[in-house]
Amino acid sequence: MMESFIDYTLAYIKEQNPIHYKKALKNIKELKKDDFFERATTFLDKYDQLLENNGKTRKYAIDCYLKLLADYTHEGLIFRETGKYSSTSFDEVNKRVYANPEIMQYYMHGLLVSQFLWKHHYVLLKYYIENLAHYVTAKSYLEIGGGHGLYVNEALNAFSEDTTFDVVDISESSINMAKHFVNNEKVNFIHTDVFDFHPKNKYDFITMGEVLEHVEDPVKLLLKVKDLLKPSGTLFLTTPTNAPAIDHLYLFRNYPDILAVLQKAGFCIENEIKVYAEDVSEEMAEEFKITMMFGGFLIKKL
Amino acid sequence: MNQKQQIILDLNEIFTDIIDEGEIMLNPETTANDIDGWDSLNHIQILAAIEKKYTFKFTLTEIQNLKNIDDLTNIIVQKTSA
Repeated sequence: MMESFIDYTLAYIKEQNPIHYKKALKNIKELKKDDFFERATTFLDKYDQLLENNGKTRKYAIDCYLKLLADYTHEGLIFRETGKYSSTSFDEVNKRVYANPEIMQYYMHGLLVSQFLWKHHYVLLKYYIENLAHYVTAKSYLEIGGGHGLYVNEALNAFSEDTTFDVVDISESSINMAKHFVNNEKVNFIHTDVFDFHPKNKYDFITMGEVLEHVEDPVKLLLKVKDLLKPSGTLFLTTPTNAPAIDHLYLFRNYPDILAVLQKAGFCIENEIKVYAEDVSEEMAEEFKITMMFGGFLIKKL
Repeated sequence: MNQKQQIILDLNEIFTDIIDEGEIMLNPETTANDIDGWDSLNHIQILAAIEKKYTFKFTLTEIQNLKNIDDLTNIIVQKTSA
């Protein structure tokens, strides 16, 4: 029998990057104890197949992930010294990253692999899936910045047959990857900047995972999202604090920073989760500026 | 003592200080497999301390190719003699 994707990944990381191996091993051990592990395995089997169909190997995918880690370490060093993210304008990031297929390829594969190796990624995904059950009456779903397509894939499983699905993404590479991954004609993929997206109808449910930190003005983006949402609609939003990366622009230093932006845009939180990227105390997380992932189901403020 | 040996002594001090798990004895072949506390959280602090001590910046490629103490020592030799 073929070695599982997770076991192969761990063995490869142990050999190539023993520094990261410790964290990866710990996270996978915890994941294996969780009832979510079965879903992770199903997902990774699908991903494994996608790699094969595209003539790519597991090694290629994990190399993308290790390159992404090196990128984060490099950006992390700059962040420690300057207290800022290194990129400053959306146009610069758009040219350097989103419109660059070579960079986007490794970025997307790297992020997909991270989905189950990073606790804060799989805990967030699990939280999303478990809570989607409360929103199954939604008849229209929009995802902004669909990335690799994992979240819309889960929404397809959760919502009813007659729900419509639209995904807007600024990167053509992302859309191509998500199309292959989701492989469902019900999903309408739209390659555009969300600010240029003007649909006829508003949406019952919008997902926007890890997009807010990619823009210069998060309030402006949230106001656009608010306009796309029906009065009684729900927005599922995730965004990290202290997460230096080549394509991150807006720095949320802490949870109150996120709350302030949500409030300014007229959203309130119905349900939320906060997960740190490392298993450390709150004090240590603050001292070392450890990334915290925020996820929340939001509604428009009355 | 040659330059590389001196660098390893300096690295020993940095590692011991950051990892804080007793005495550490580095040699060129040492990898993270040999030191429990050399994990991703401490790694970035170690790199930051090296950048500060030797006043240079690691490039992305250097970070990507780092496997053991010898790699780290070679980068420091190269950067400080440039």
